[in-house]
Amino acid sequence: MARAKRDPEATETITRRGWLLAGLALPLSRAWSAERLDVTWDGDDLHVAAPQLHFLVGKPLNRLQDGLAVVFLTQLTLTTDNFTTSLRRTPDRFVFSYDLWEEKFSVTKLGEGQRTVSHLSAAAAEAWCLDNVAISSTGLPQDRPFWLRFELRAAEPKDEAAVIGDAGLNLTRLIEIFSRRPRDQQPQWIAEAGPLRLGDLRRLAGRAARTL
Amino acid sequence: MRFLWLASIFWSSLLLAGSPEQEMNVNTRYTVESVELAGDSPAGISSGLRGELTRLVGNKLDPAALDDLATRIRRELHVRAVTHRLLRGQKPEHVRVVFVVRGTPAKFEASVPKLVYRSDAGLSGLVEGTATVGRQAFTFGVVSDGDDLAERYSGIMARYEDKRLATDRVRFRLDFESYHEQWNQATTNALTEQGAASDTSGIYRTRQNVEPLVTFVLMSGAPGLMNLSVGSSFERFQSQFPAARTESANAMVTTLRYHRRVESSGANQQEWDAGYSLRAATSLLGSDFAYACHRGDVQYVYSWGRSQVQDDLTAGAITGRAPLFERFILGNSTLLRGWNRFDLDPLGGNRMVHNTVEYRYRLFDVFYDSGAIWDQGQSPVLRHSVGVGLRQNGLYAALAFPIKEGHIEPVFMVGMNY
Repeated sequence: MARAKRDPEATETITRRGWLLAGLALPLSRAWSAERLDVTWDGDDLHVAAPQLHFLVGKPLNRLQDGLAVVFLTQLTLTTDNFTTSLRRTPDRFVFSYDLWEEKFSVTKLGEGQRTVSHLSAAAAEAWCLDNVAISSTGLPQDRPFWLRFELRAAEPKDEAAVIGDAGLNLTRLIEIFSRRPRDQQPQWIAEAGPLRLGDLRRLAGRAARTL
Repeated sequence: MRFLWLASIFWSSLLLAGSPEQEMNVNTRYTVESVELAGDSPAGISSGLRGELTRLVGNKLDPAALDDLATRIRRELHVRAVTHRLLRGQKPEHVRVVFVVRGTPAKFEASVPKLVYRSDAGLSGLVEGTATVGRQAFTFGVVSDGDDLAERYSGIMARYEDKRLATDRVRFRLDFESYHEQWNQATTNALTEQGAASDTSGIYRTRQNVEPLVTFVLMSGAPGLMNLSVGSSFERFQSQFPAARTESANAMVTTLRYHRRVESSGANQQEWDAGYSLRAATSLLGSDFAYACHRGDVQYVYSWGRSQVQDDLTAGAITGRAPLFERFILGNSTLLRGWNRFDLDPLGGNRMVHNTVEYRYRLFDVFYDSGAIWDQGQSPVLRHSVGVGLRQNGLYAALAFPIKEGHIEPVFMVGMNY
């Protein structure tokens, strides 16, 4: 089938559809633009670091400075096909709080082997959080390319108390919650790395490489 | 079936939504220096709640207590949200708590005060909407309940409430209810068997009730909260057999309730709740039935850390000839869980005693129910049941097993505020 010839000048102009797509893409790219992730390997697990990723900002920081505890949910995803399918996922939960008198942060990693650190600066608290997420490399050949994605978001402040109480389920409040605009949702951060190979990674000291 | 699974997933996510993150707040080592209210309409809270806010001062910061109080302020003021924040105090190692009231009082609120599904009785629930004008509230609701009584009653209810009648220690409410009834075959069979010897009414098709009630706050603050309600209930119902006719059960109603919470050092807390109610129907009020229905209950809760032990004792007795809706039942979603009430006594009884012992750890719950229901002149038979459940923020899912010989069929219950 013959295609209609296009006016060469038309390629120089931006159509309304183009503006619309650009307008939509800009905020999306901001929300989803991934930071760079540094990856190390200890022979068993893959560890990550992202010194340029700062999540103790904005609304979560305001809540912390109001003396409240804030839960951050993290997820580390390992894929071997550039995030088309995930090979493995490790979700974790961290509780941050801010000491009003010492002006330092305290972080607790929830779950098995729960542990807490305190008297940390914002940067040190963020770094401790990333230091404490890891994903197993079991079954991953040394020469096979893989990708890692680290996702982090602040959990919504609890609304259950307002929605469900002694007076039962408050439908008015429930409608309010479902009517919230997306911009009111909690922020999230993403950092990615790949393609990587285990053989190319910097090896953490003190752990022997496992036979694969 | 698919919807049941979806409902289960939704319910499970709500049950698991709560968690003790706030207990890990580093500021819990500080002492509360002062408690303030700020925002849109902070002046209107009751003196009892204001007293509870004051009692935070001098104690270690308890984020769970702050969440609880924020919820109670929000409910009392009918506002959109109440949040709290902490500021450094004037004294070292002390913090100031500021509750921030946001949003003007809601003019209209829709809610579901009760919703429960039982695998052997189906769904029961109440949906209501409340319009608030100043201190006065107008509520209208739709109900279908097959859990509370021997019958399933479905219909409408309306309520007018004045929360401050001259003083905030006196409240007035007027309830109106209109229901259509459905009966289990076991109940109609039992009535047929008893015939004229029955000491209760026959089944009825419809039932209406008008109930004005005045509540006096006798005591509030540190010694506890004590309320006395006095009123009357004008109940009319249309009997079906032997011929359609309207009967009435008009009664004087009195309820005395006492609640006290004692917080000892550390995270230990004790809570007492006790009540006694009397419904006395007399021909002086034009009643076709003359009876007195006494009911008393005591609840004791001891909490430490994330654990809680609770004991509930309930007992009741009816003297005279009372209609079916006044009779006690066991084997529903709160009393002798796991038993089917139609197996125990399809007509209910005029004597009842029941006790529940419950242990909760975080959202996990185990319980042991025991109770007996009988009619005057009969020998009571004590029955038992055990169960496990998940409970969070008023939501509850449980599996209860009757303790008996032979085939045991567990009862699954899920819902809230039951």
